[in-house]
Amino acid sequence: MAQPASRPVFAPWNDPAAKPLIQFKSVTKKFGEFVAIDDVTIDIFAQEFFALLGPSGCGKTTLMRMLAGFERPTKGQILLDGKDLADVPPNRRETNMMFQSYALFPHLSVWENIAFGLKRSPMPKGEIGPRVEQMLKLVRLDKFARRKPHQISGGQRQRVALARSLAKAPKLLLLDEPLGALDKKLRQDTQFELMDIQEKTGTTFLIVTHDQEEAMTVASRVAVMDHGKMIQIDTPDRIYEMPNSVYVADFIGDVNIIKGNAKPTGEGRFAISWAEGQPDIAAASGAGIAAGTPVHFAIRPEKIAISADKPADRANAVKGRIEDIAYLGNISTYKVELANGAMIKAQVANDRRLARRTFSWDDMVWLSFTDTAGVILMK
Amino acid sequence: MNFRRILLIATPYAWLVALFLVPFLIVFKISLSHYAISIPPYSPVFDISAGWEGFKTFLSKLDFDNYRFLSGDDLYWKAYLSSLQIAAISTIITLVVAYPIAYGMAQANDEWRPTLMMLVILPFWTSFLIRVYSWIGILSNEGFLNQILLGLGVIDTPLAIMNTNTAVYIGIVYTYLPFMVLPIYATLEKMDGSLIEAAEDLGCTRISAFWLVTLPLSKPGVIAGCFLVFIPALGEFVIPSLLGGSQTLMIGKVLWEEFFSNRDWPVASAVAVILLVLLIIPIILFQRNEQKQREANQ
Amino acid sequence: MMKTGMTFAAALLAMAGAAAAEEVRVYNWSDYIDESLLAKFTEETGIDLVYDVFDSNEMLETKMLAGSSGYDVVVPSGTFLQRQIQAGAFMKLDRSKLPNYGNLWDMVSERVAKYDPGNQYAVNYMWGTTGIGVNINKVKEVLGDDAPVNSLALIFDPKNMEKLSQCGVHLLDAPTEMIPAALAYLGLDPDAQDEETLAKAEPVLEAIAPYVLKFHSSEYINALANGDICAVFGWSGDVLMARDRAAEADNGVEIEYHIPKEGALMWFDELAIPADAPNPDGAYKFINFMLDAHNIAAASNYVYYANGNKASQQFLNEDVIGDTAIYPDAQTMEKLYTTTPWDPKVNRFVTRMWTKIKSGT
Repeated sequence: MAQPASRPVFAPWNDPAAKPLIQFKSVTKKFGEFVAIDDVTIDIFAQEFFALLGPSGCGKTTLMRMLAGFERPTKGQILLDGKDLADVPPNRRETNMMFQSYALFPHLSVWENIAFGLKRSPMPKGEIGPRVEQMLKLVRLDKFARRKPHQISGGQRQRVALARSLAKAPKLLLLDEPLGALDKKLRQDTQFELMDIQEKTGTTFLIVTHDQEEAMTVASRVAVMDHGKMIQIDTPDRIYEMPNSVYVADFIGDVNIIKGNAKPTGEGRFAISWAEGQPDIAAASGAGIAAGTPVHFAIRPEKIAISADKPADRANAVKGRIEDIAYLGNISTYKVELANGAMIKAQVANDRRLARRTFSWDDMVWLSFTDTAGVILMK
Repeated sequence: MNFRRILLIATPYAWLVALFLVPFLIVFKISLSHYAISIPPYSPVFDISAGWEGFKTFLSKLDFDNYRFLSGDDLYWKAYLSSLQIAAISTIITLVVAYPIAYGMAQANDEWRPTLMMLVILPFWTSFLIRVYSWIGILSNEGFLNQILLGLGVIDTPLAIMNTNTAVYIGIVYTYLPFMVLPIYATLEKMDGSLIEAAEDLGCTRISAFWLVTLPLSKPGVIAGCFLVFIPALGEFVIPSLLGGSQTLMIGKVLWEEFFSNRDWPVASAVAVILLVLLIIPIILFQRNEQKQREANQ
Repeated sequence: MMKTGMTFAAALLAMAGAAAAEEVRVYNWSDYIDESLLAKFTEETGIDLVYDVFDSNEMLETKMLAGSSGYDVVVPSGTFLQRQIQAGAFMKLDRSKLPNYGNLWDMVSERVAKYDPGNQYAVNYMWGTTGIGVNINKVKEVLGDDAPVNSLALIFDPKNMEKLSQCGVHLLDAPTEMIPAALAYLGLDPDAQDEETLAKAEPVLEAIAPYVLKFHSSEYINALANGDICAVFGWSGDVLMARDRAAEADNGVEIEYHIPKEGALMWFDELAIPADAPNPDGAYKFINFMLDAHNIAAASNYVYYANGNKASQQFLNEDVIGDTAIYPDAQTMEKLYTTTPWDPKVNRFVTRMWTKIKSGT
């Protein structure tokens, strides 16, 4: 989704010869009896912008803190550049972290905050100044170098934190909910700025977020986590279009989930019977599914068309009454109640002015979608 | 401004005038009079019935002889200096002892903190005098400490701690420890734990993270604690007179002796006035620091 | 201001007293009475007794000169009595209210008249000497068997003190006692009134001060009895009380009291009634109670001090009346001296000297 068209295809995860920068090998982390991370295996490649996505408490922060060295895995191995990190303390790791709270040192100026890590590094004294200036320029804070953190705005603090964590040119930058404290407008601007900086510096970024939109925007790959387990690791578009589970489909964006039984109709096509008096749903799937298997059919609202008459060329069409209309500016979401009481959401772009809208409450309409618009999910 | 408002503002001033200014003026007045064998033991005594003329003769008899006497006798200078020294050293020792306690408390689990806090405050529930007296039982030649050390064979003659400056330091450090622990704990407890992680992440060892981040950030607490110990220790009387020896020279003790042994109220009052002036300097510094702190937090 | 404050407090006390039974407030030296006498007084008279203690004349004088102490009977020593009489602190005694007055011993009354001409303001409670208390075994251990325990040299010779400091020495925190003794040690007049002579005591005391564990006027009783210290220059009865306590504790500490051969201060503690006593009638009853031959004998038997009551002597224990350390023989009596109070200027000079000696500055 966020991949600019001009960029050459960057997909080392598809290249069997590529060597991963970070490897989690069957990592488990327990806090007492509580299993925070449950047998996770991931490879993260150099220059990736990798997002860990999940609700709070899913273990994504723990995973990141293990990379930073603040927690040790209970079982399994974490490798950076092929070297086991187990006995490397946080201060000797070639990773840096940008904290959710920013963790700026309140007693030090912006300049001193950025220089803090450099002063603890073998960098010669004479090079520290220029490096700090460079970082200040990168985050456009040259004018605020002498200020203390409490004298600048939230957005500026966020950029100081970023500059500080980037100053040592780490192999891997960890970002813990980096934009969580910013308001929506600033957050969106900053997302693009982050991507820009990631590209400029060529640093590998690992971002932890609970905001799926943010993950989709910035990441080259997204890992969706739940209860300490990896559910799906894939590029944002595939996560969205081809979720591997109801959980992922539901977590990312808006979706209609329909429970039913699948019956093969040949050539990778299936008919899903789901309700008395409703036609079966025609859907495609690459997987072989035995007849009568209970499945979930997931379809995004924007993939569903809405019309007054039954369209002739669509594989699926159902009739219902408009129950509710949510106007979101650029789009409107229609909630349509079918004859059997099922509620289906359809989204339509508002390419016309509101006054000339075609449908209104209680109108009887047809909802239609192609047989490849949705996905069949087994779990 | 309505009456209620005036009353509200006037109340603290009225208290200050009644409880601080008036007693101070009385002490100041006595410090300008002279020792006499009479009741009360100084002259002149202001007699309100003598009227305005009487007041003028009364005023004409006051002078600064006692201050001249104090400045001319090096005993008092030495007592002030030695009090400053004892107070300063005690403050430093208290800081060194209190910091790890406060740090440990701030690091402890949430469920332990109230208990630890209680343990720090608990001694206040016992009379201060009894606590100081109990140190006599611990420190004296036949005391607890010497008995244990003798019993363990660490020493073969009792340590002479009682009635020395060492005992005074122990007494002051023990008594004022909570005043140091609590403000330091308050700043450490407020501190964001991720700051230490950030420091470690940026290349600090545990120890250098402490020096570069924890310690500077706890500075307001350290300064508050130091003032809270230093100011009362400077005028301390009970501890040096109970635990100290004849060489322990503290202005509080000198003041007591001027008053009770020499029965020279005027000189005792002059000593008190000077002590007050001396105490005002650190108090003003303390106020300034608090003010700066408040501004920084805004 | 101070005065009205104190009066107010006293008024409160008086009110509290009026609400309850009649009350007499006595301010005496610490460890200076057989406490069963206090109960006996209340039993006989029905008057509640509030009994507070002090351990220095200076402390008492501070209260007396501040006025409105709230006490009915106080016990100053001779020189202090004289000064406080001058200051108008006491009321003249009405002997008709003291039926037991006749029990007094003229030998003592005559000497006290030096401080209280005509014995108008006070009657004697106890008298004694200021001398040397030693833990004899420890002192001999440190100084050898020929330790000069009956000489001021034991205390005032730095060579002896240096050795004694190993086992601990207390001196009275009272310049009025210590300076005359130092002068006596030098062979000078202990009752000197001029600064020049008094100043000669300073180097003597300064030389020994570093070896003094503490200058204190009451702690030595326990310290001596416990074995915390081995020598003291203190009051006869207190040393003997320490002897008694050590014997009771059976801790192997053996205490002796010696009147120095160079002479010793003879002092008198006098019962007097403050001019502003809230309950003078009660005060008379208490003084008369203490003038009773049996009662004062019981007190002496308990505290090992001689009293000024001739009639009580037949009731004294043999270890009191027969001990020349308490009731000195005629020969020792001749060596005892008394002192007169210094004038305010000399007093200031002496107290400053005393502070300097104690603190080493």
